[in-house]
Order: sequence, then structure tokens, then C-alpha cells
Amino acid sequence: MRAPISTAIAIATGLLILLGAFLPIPVLLPIRQILLSWTIPVAATAGLIAILNLLSVHWRKLNSARERDYYSIFLLLAFAATFAAGLILGPTDPDFQKIVTHIQFPVEASLMGVLTVTLTYASIRLFQRKRGWLAVLFTASTILFLILLSGFLNISENIPFVKDFLAALNTLPIAGARGILLGIALGSITTGLRILIGADRPYSG
Amino acid sequence: MDVDFAWTAVAFILTLLTLSYILGDNPLFRLAAYLFVGVSAGYVAVILLFEVIVPRLVSPLIFGSPAEKMLALVPAVLSLLLLFKLSPRLTTLGNPSMAFLVGSGAAVIVGGAVSGTLFGQIRGAIQPFALSQSGSGLQTGGQLFGGLILLIGTISTLVYFQFSARRKANQQTRRPAVIQVAAFGGQIFIAITLGALYAGVLAAALTALIERFDFLRTAIQTFLP
Repeated sequence: MRAPISTAIAIATGLLILLGAFLPIPVLLPIRQILLSWTIPVAATAGLIAILNLLSVHWRKLNSARERDYYSIFLLLAFAATFAAGLILGPTDPDFQKIVTHIQFPVEASLMGVLTVTLTYASIRLFQRKRGWLAVLFTASTILFLILLSGFLNISENIPFVKDFLAALNTLPIAGARGILLGIALGSITTGLRILIGADRPYSG
Repeated sequence: MDVDFAWTAVAFILTLLTLSYILGDNPLFRLAAYLFVGVSAGYVAVILLFEVIVPRLVSPLIFGSPAEKMLALVPAVLSLLLLFKLSPRLTTLGNPSMAFLVGSGAAVIVGGAVSGTLFGQIRGAIQPFALSQSGSGLQTGGQLFGGLILLIGTISTLVYFQFSARRKANQQTRRPAVIQVAAFGGQIFIAITLGALYAGVLAAALTALIERFDFLRTAIQTFLP
């Protein structure tokens, strides 16, 4: 058996948390709470390790003789400046919060804006390459819901038949979305249970 | 120079650098992307340190009661073991911590999927058939019809993702005819749903683009004397 200690830890932790959530056994509830309270700082440490790994990758890219990436210096400097400012000022300081409002928000919103152009371009290219009935239905649905989202048809909502028709149209995507959500949930449960019975061990690397 | 003016200038420049991607991948966009990743990583590191690691791990170990110190010792040891994941030679020492995280994460995901998504969506699917809530006969009929369409759509979408089929000797592996018909219906509902989702994303992206152009216009007005 590969990694028996790790497997035992994963199974025991998972089962205690899961049983604590579903079985009304009083002793399980505090155990579940303690285990979850331990998970939070360990997950935060994992997050810090991920950031350290990101920095080490960019440090290597900066010092690589073959494919040197000069942009990595900007990433490392931006990290160092933000981290130092956070350590000195603290995360709740209004000046430190300006990093979010004046650096992160403009870039995020602009990336979202750029998505308009890239999505439109990608959909045109997709339609040029695949011209089946599904592509036609997808395009028709996109155009229809863009019109509905624009609020252009709100003026005709006072007419009873149109109002019912629009309501029926709005329910159509709910059916597909519900099916997709149920599929995702069933997939998550299967994957989770495979870990909890030790069939999958993504931690034994 | 006014501090707010300087911050607005930073936001203005970063917006322009990011929007330059509309012209294609270029060094200015890459500069903005690398800066964004660096700043975000620094911000997340500060939040993780100040909001989680110090109050939940360091403070109980230093200032807590003996019971609190004992309780904080386990995540402290697991966190220390996790640091070995940074070294390729000692990475196996971090496996118990990863196992703890994966085990608790899997349990939380299974619990959330069952009580949140599975029960919630099934309740939503059967709700239109609770006729005691409805009014007149026409409304009842409409409610039943709508519920039936939703149910057919949900089941056919689920069936579409059922790819298992029985293999017959000297024949092409095919799904049973009933499954094929249901999967065809599922394809229709999936196409409509993805179209609606795509329209939603496109509308949100367009709103963000308009907001950015409005910000650029306002910023230029601020910069001009």
C-alpha cells in the first residue's frame, strides 16, 4: 500500500467531518469543528507556499541563461512592494486598500472589458468553422438572451401573452443549468467519495 | 503632486496598458499582467498572514491558555510539514499535511454538494408540482406544463452526459435508442443554456468595458487644467 499514514489521515479526517455534518451524534460535532478549525490555518499556509513557489519560478525565469524572462522582475518588484506595504501599514489601512481600488480593480475591470472583444471574435471564428444546427441554436439563444438582458422587451411586459412568453423563454436555460449543476454535484460527490475510501490519493506525490 | 491624483494616474495607465490587448498581445499588456499578478500575490500573502495565520496559529501558540496551545500545536506541526513541499528532495514529508487538507476538503465538498446543490436542485425541480400553492385552473395547468418542461430539460441534460454503452460483437458501440433520443433533447437544452450564459458574460463584459471607457474619459478631464 502506497503512503499508508497519509491515506489513514485523509480517510479519518474526511469521514469524521462528513459524519459530523450528517449524523446527529453529539460527540462528532465538536470533533468536526476542531478539525475544520485546524484546516483553515493549514490551508492558509498552503496558500503562502503556493505564492512562494510562484516567486521561485519567476526568480528562476529571471536568472535563466537560455530563456530569460525580463517581465518577471516587474512581478517580483510588485510583490515585494505590496508585501512590504502590507507588513508596515497592515491590511486594513486605507492607504494599503488603495492597492485594490487603484491597481487590482482597474486591471480586473479592463480584463473583463477586453473579454467583450475576444469573446465576440472567438464566437465568430467558431461559427465560421462549425456550422451545424447546434451552432445555429447557440447563436440564436445568445442573440435572444442579449436582447432580453438589454431590457429592450420590458416595454411589452404589460401585454399578458408577451409577459408569459418571455417568462417561459427565461425558464428554458434553467432546465439545462439545473442538469449541468446536478452533473457537477454528482461528479464532485463521486470524486470526494473516491478520496474518502482511499481509491484516489492525490496527496501521495 | 496630490496623492489621489497620482493613484488616478496609476489606474489610468494600467487601464490603458490592459486595454491595449484589443490590438493583440503586446509588451505593454504583458507588463500590466505581470504587475497585476505580483500585486495580487503580495496582497493575498498579507491577508493570509494577518487574517488567518497570526490570529489562528501564532497568537494561540504564544498568548493562548495551555488548552489553546495544545489545540494550535497540531495545525502548527501540519503547517511546518507542509513547508517541506517546497523542497523536491523532502517533498514526501509534506504528504501527511496534504492528506489532511485533501481529506477535509473532500468531506466539505461532498457535504456541500449533497446538502447545497443536490437537495436544493431536486427541491427546485419538484416545486412546480406542489399544486396546493397555485390558484386558478389555467394557472395550475401553466405551472404543471412549465414544471414538466423543466423536468424533461433537466433529465435530458443529465442523460446527455451518460456515455456508457454496451459493446456487441462485430457492431459499432452505440447507446440505446431511448438514451440517444433523450441525449438529443439534452443537446438542445445545453445549447440554449450555454447561449444564455454566453449572453450574460458578454453583457457583463460590455458593461465593464463601458465603465472603463467612462473612467478614462473622467480621468482625462481630471488631468486637463
